[in-house]
Amino acid sequence: MLFSSVTFLYYFFPLVLVLHFLMPHKTTKPRNYVLLLFSVVFYAWGEPKLLLLMLAQSFSGWFFGLFIERWRGKKLSKAALVAALVVGIGGLMFFKYADFFIENFNAATGISVPLLRLALPLGISFYTFQILSYDIDLYRSECEMQPNYFTFTTYVTLFPQLIAGPIVRYVDVAAELAERQITLTAFAGGARRFVIGLGKKVLIANVLGELVDICKTSGEHSVLNAWLYIIAYALHLYFDFSGYSDMAIGMGHMLGFKFLENFNYPYIARSITDLWRRWHMSLSSWFRDYVYIPLGGNRCSKPRQVFNILVVWFCTGFWHGAGWNFIVWGLYFAALLLLEKFVLGKVLDKLPRVIQHIYALVFILIGWTIFDAPTLVTAGERIAALFGVGDTALAGVSSLYYLRSYAVPLILATIGATPIVRRAATWVQQKRVTTVLEPLTVLLLLVLVTAYLVDGSFNPFIYFRF
Amino acid sequence: MENTTNNSKTRSILTIAAFLLVMFGFVILNRAITPPDVSQSERRQLAKLPTLTLQTLANADFMDGFEDFAADSFAFRENLRTLRAFAVLDVFRMSDKSGLYRADGGAGKFEPVNDKSILQAADKIAKVAETLGDVNIYYAVVPDKNIYVAPQTPGYEPARVAALLAERLGAYTAIDLTDTLGGDAYYRTDLHWDQPRIAPVVDKLGAAMNFAPSADFETRTLGEFNGVYTGQLALPLTPDTMTYLENSATVGATTQYFDIASNGFLDGDMYDLEAFKGGDPYDLFLRGAQPLITITNPDAQSNRELYLFRDSFSSSLAPLLAPYYSRITLIDLRYIDSRVLDQYVKFAPDSDVLFLYSSQILNNSAILNVS
Repeated sequence: MLFSSVTFLYYFFPLVLVLHFLMPHKTTKPRNYVLLLFSVVFYAWGEPKLLLLMLAQSFSGWFFGLFIERWRGKKLSKAALVAALVVGIGGLMFFKYADFFIENFNAATGISVPLLRLALPLGISFYTFQILSYDIDLYRSECEMQPNYFTFTTYVTLFPQLIAGPIVRYVDVAAELAERQITLTAFAGGARRFVIGLGKKVLIANVLGELVDICKTSGEHSVLNAWLYIIAYALHLYFDFSGYSDMAIGMGHMLGFKFLENFNYPYIARSITDLWRRWHMSLSSWFRDYVYIPLGGNRCSKPRQVFNILVVWFCTGFWHGAGWNFIVWGLYFAALLLLEKFVLGKVLDKLPRVIQHIYALVFILIGWTIFDAPTLVTAGERIAALFGVGDTALAGVSSLYYLRSYAVPLILATIGATPIVRRAATWVQQKRVTTVLEPLTVLLLLVLVTAYLVDGSFNPFIYFRF
Repeated sequence: MENTTNNSKTRSILTIAAFLLVMFGFVILNRAITPPDVSQSERRQLAKLPTLTLQTLANADFMDGFEDFAADSFAFRENLRTLRAFAVLDVFRMSDKSGLYRADGGAGKFEPVNDKSILQAADKIAKVAETLGDVNIYYAVVPDKNIYVAPQTPGYEPARVAALLAERLGAYTAIDLTDTLGGDAYYRTDLHWDQPRIAPVVDKLGAAMNFAPSADFETRTLGEFNGVYTGQLALPLTPDTMTYLENSATVGATTQYFDIASNGFLDGDMYDLEAFKGGDPYDLFLRGAQPLITITNPDAQSNRELYLFRDSFSSSLAPLLAPYYSRITLIDLRYIDSRVLDQYVKFAPDSDVLFLYSSQILNNSAILNVS
């Protein structure tokens, strides 16, 4: 079930709100049970057959957690952690990557091992990382053991962040699972954030997603088409993903949780290092805390630092999908980060800001070209087309038509990808008029989004491979 | 300070109220208002609540069907569709809504040329043509409305389509109708051509197929006609006027429709005035979707026969050809499989065969039942 669907907005979520707030609130247990029940329904709605897998993975993480705690200080505690990692990562590897490994094994050896063709469980990359973070944090004594399986599973399955993040760590919501306050301001802020996220997803991301598809299938080989495609894709991806995160954070506030931010205007980055402090921050920080730092981080020799960065970015790329393009995409960013860290860092700092932005944007867009390509050859062709290499015209009928047609959404999306709107909103918030303006905006935006959804507009789900 | 706090509290209360008002307002309205079974504007059945069983839950059919039902049964759906169209075309200033555009008070729809489908259509035409024996075979493409009213759209390209068809149909005579019409030959609110304005098409066909168009027709007016784009666009458009042409040939000819129930042909009117009042007023012409129709004119200029492989455009064209052929057989391969055609149609030697398809059919040729 998508947040941006009629079923979610006008059947599922109203029911969650009603039952959640009808429950006695002296303790959070009844409300947690409501959330658990609805989270299970939410997941089963899209993946009825793979629900048990998620519940089993959750059980495994919780169960090994018991032994990590019971055997604390003993070697067995580490063994329990290793077992938790093996089961968690093993499940992810099997369901998400088995066919990738088989295909490459077959290609390398000439043997024809049949593919398993397993359905990718929805959100497996997200919930696996959440479960692992609990066991690792518990082992490091950075959080307390959760004795109740149902409460732990409420954390794992919490529907606002279940299928598309942000990757919430147990330590961040443990206190709220035990006791949470929902204030008027928090609920209003959550509703506002949710509707803004919905607008970003439905009014901008979905619209630009259509443009992406058009550019990819138009058959026009032109520089303009190549740029139109990649700019639309970059904005589509950002508004889709950050819109989803906004909705998750907003619903979290409405239900009494404070999820961490996931995006901070990534396209205003002035370097690739800066980009990864702003894009999918919950994933970056996960890899930093659970892979990079344990490997030694930057407190080691230069060759070891290089190795650490390569490992982290190999994993980051691979996490996004079982394909070589994702691995190359990760390593591409590793190369740029290494270049900035050891060679370009000081030079970049001295350049005019505008040059820094252009530098970052060009390499970000090339990165997305690799990310979205079905094969590395296609990625190469699309990058070549960006710079007019080969049999590429400057523009064609299709690209000129769609540039004009999508001009307003593209301009709005570009402005929305910068802090301009937020600054304007902050300025307006000081005025009395906001008292009416904000609710009116929420009302109109929600009605408009509903109109788009009811009319059966293009509504893709891009997280299926994550 | 206290004022600011009060404002903030009021704003929060109003924001929550607005959010809950829309959400629960629609929840209540969706329960209170019974949705229609059919969308008149889109000319389609609306989705029903899917059956809930263990099997439909396990295979997720229930969930898939529920979202369609939820969207189709939504309260004030038509108004919301209009709101979306207004937002897309007038607020976001986009040139089209999923290919639908406004032009000169009317509307149109384009889709990019699908080379693969065009070639598949050509192969299907060739396959049928090979089985027809000693007949004169012609083919033509109905000129797409977009090339006249919205030439800037990246849709139908006559030269490209002609080249693709010629690749596979070089053995047959192509008739290029592109230069016969202009934008005013089409309804403003529909994809079809307007019968009284397609005389140049008849002339061009006559020149290629050796008949001499000379018949005069009288124009009959029925009333306002809201074409298919009015509903699809969901924005107000000025209605067209539905007219049709009549003369002694159309009145004197016998029109027969294939009846599936009796597995035979039944007499009917060439212009079905009742159908004009139905869901698709264009069904006035030869009753719309029909697998096989024959038009027999004992007073025709010649004894020649015409076999017209066709789509809906030919429904309004065929009456204008009635004066020149003793018998016209209209065959719609969307509704009859080519493999059973010889059970119902015997192709007379030395007769004319015309494959006349619009770009919509060529671009979606999987719909043609030729295997």
